[in-house]
Amino acid sequence: MSSKEAILSNIKKNIKQQFDMPDISIQGIQYEDKLAQFIAISKAVGGNVQLVKKGEDINEIIRKLYPEAKTIASNLPEITIATANPDTIATPQELNDTDVAIARGEVGVAENGCIWIPQDVKEKAVYFIAEYLVILLQRDKIVNNMHEAYKAIHFNDYGFGSFISGPSKTADIEQALVMGAQSAKGVTVLLTEE
Amino acid sequence: MSTKHSRAARLFLAQKEDSQWHNQSLWYVREKRDSFAMGLPEWEELRRLSSEIKRHTITHLDKYVEQFAQQAEANGVIVHWAKDAQEHNNIVYDILKQHQAKKLVKSKSMLTEECHLNDYLISKGIDVVETDLGERILQLMKIPPAHIVMPAIHLKRQQVGKLFEEKLHTEKGNSDPTYLAHAARLHLRNEFMTADAGMTGANFGVAATGDVVVCTNEGNADMSTSLPKLHIVSMGIEKIIPNYDSLSVFVRLLARSATGQPSTTYTSHFRKARPGGEMHIVLVDNGRSDIIGNEGHWETLKCLRCGACMNTCPVYRRSGGYSYTYFIPGPIGINLGMLRSPKEYSDNVSACSLCCSCDNVCPAKVNLSEQIYRWRQDLDSLHKANQMKKFISNRLTYIYNHPKLYRMCLKFAPIINHLPRFMVYNGLNAWGEGRELPTFAKHSFGSMWKKGKVK
Repeated sequence: MSSKEAILSNIKKNIKQQFDMPDISIQGIQYEDKLAQFIAISKAVGGNVQLVKKGEDINEIIRKLYPEAKTIASNLPEITIATANPDTIATPQELNDTDVAIARGEVGVAENGCIWIPQDVKEKAVYFIAEYLVILLQRDKIVNNMHEAYKAIHFNDYGFGSFISGPSKTADIEQALVMGAQSAKGVTVLLTEE
Repeated sequence: MSTKHSRAARLFLAQKEDSQWHNQSLWYVREKRDSFAMGLPEWEELRRLSSEIKRHTITHLDKYVEQFAQQAEANGVIVHWAKDAQEHNNIVYDILKQHQAKKLVKSKSMLTEECHLNDYLISKGIDVVETDLGERILQLMKIPPAHIVMPAIHLKRQQVGKLFEEKLHTEKGNSDPTYLAHAARLHLRNEFMTADAGMTGANFGVAATGDVVVCTNEGNADMSTSLPKLHIVSMGIEKIIPNYDSLSVFVRLLARSATGQPSTTYTSHFRKARPGGEMHIVLVDNGRSDIIGNEGHWETLKCLRCGACMNTCPVYRRSGGYSYTYFIPGPIGINLGMLRSPKEYSDNVSACSLCCSCDNVCPAKVNLSEQIYRWRQDLDSLHKANQMKKFISNRLTYIYNHPKLYRMCLKFAPIINHLPRFMVYNGLNAWGEGRELPTFAKHSFGSMWKKGKVK
């Protein structure tokens, strides 16, 4: 008997009483002003949020936010200041020492500041390896809670996606909060009108 | 006849300042958890759903494990099955060998602790690097985790500073947490860059989609899997849940319960291998399928490993992770240890005051204290009962069954109030070990009632 068969048959043998699946149509928390809540909680988890008006140049905004950035990685067509394209590099290691990476988020979550980023680039390292991460998100893509979020998210062919909420952090040394553990030291969310 | 836990706890408490700091730090996390939990009107409904979904999943686990494996395979992931720790370790090593991998970067996994994977791989010549900051500190110190979510909670910044001076060549005497964490960032960045393989645990496996969901604050699971081409997931079969609707319930509970955050920074879904890479999932049983059949204790399998039961436990907070003899401490660890080997780990069941606080914070409503109580009832049959307490209980049973004798004892009990301390608190009084006896009243309620003095 293979290990798979042994495990499955032992599970079957040991189940004594079966329980039904509950009805999960739960009404999660709702916010009167999802945008205001999203901005407040994003700041609370250490992120930066900026509203972008129609017609404003995103490249200029990013330049102003990170004036010292030399290496900027992105594959987004509207980002013209990128110095590296994570779609065309040979290895993800080449992205090390990236100052700023720019990615597109699909859904924002008002209850916890999470933004769903479905991988849309060959090297997903770009989302994690840069010193600072900028996430573009349409402000009408903000939902109340994770129940709504899980109904709204999609995957691309790459088969990876992550909810990101603020910068990488640790409190492993004496419970002191430090931003920039292994991944982005800072995150800016640019909320666009479209 | 005290337990190993109580003896170790005494040593822990002898370091007065450190133990107070430990207690307060964990209580602070508990308070943060409360404020985020209470911020959600539906909190108790989420806990109820979480418990019910887990009950359902565990009692249909054969179906869900198979569905999960099928979905993962359809996504191009290679799925392995391990009956026990040894088989798990062999599978992981074989995968690494096939890829001629020399360096493995790992994000935190309690399962690999359970299987002693690191020691095994190191003995085979693999360079194993833990990448969670807390875990890395402990690995460099060569000591095990003291908490499942905050593994280095028992260490002070000076100890970390000293360690980093020696291992990472940081400035002498600098123990600023930001400075040290950023020194570790540089050190670990180099490990990620040069790793041949990355390993993660799993917080959840979604049967409907084959997703492996990993939650971290540091992003180390993502770094571990974004640079090397090979990704190995080590997961216990009880991590599998049905679908996204159920996942949304668990994700909302996990970080709020664990650290008092609205979410972990990263909630990553791994469905496929990197382009040109390989993804393997090792599904591990190692006793879990037997637990399903244990009528008094199967609900431990609902555990999400958030650690909330440790943070709230008055005994854990005042005795520290190393006082327990099983590698997972606190209320859940007491129970998991007993399920692993009652003979070996029975010393931990004394580490509970039956205050039931753990039951009230558990996001999956595991009946932790009730189970500890049950294990205590089994101690005698395991020949692990405290003989002195057993003797006292037997005498008391006799006294309670003989009312005349009982009344006479009660009449003379106040004498104890006036005895010299050494005659009352000694080896014969197991109850008085670490506790003060109450002062016995001069007149019993019974005698006062008879005299009409009770109004």
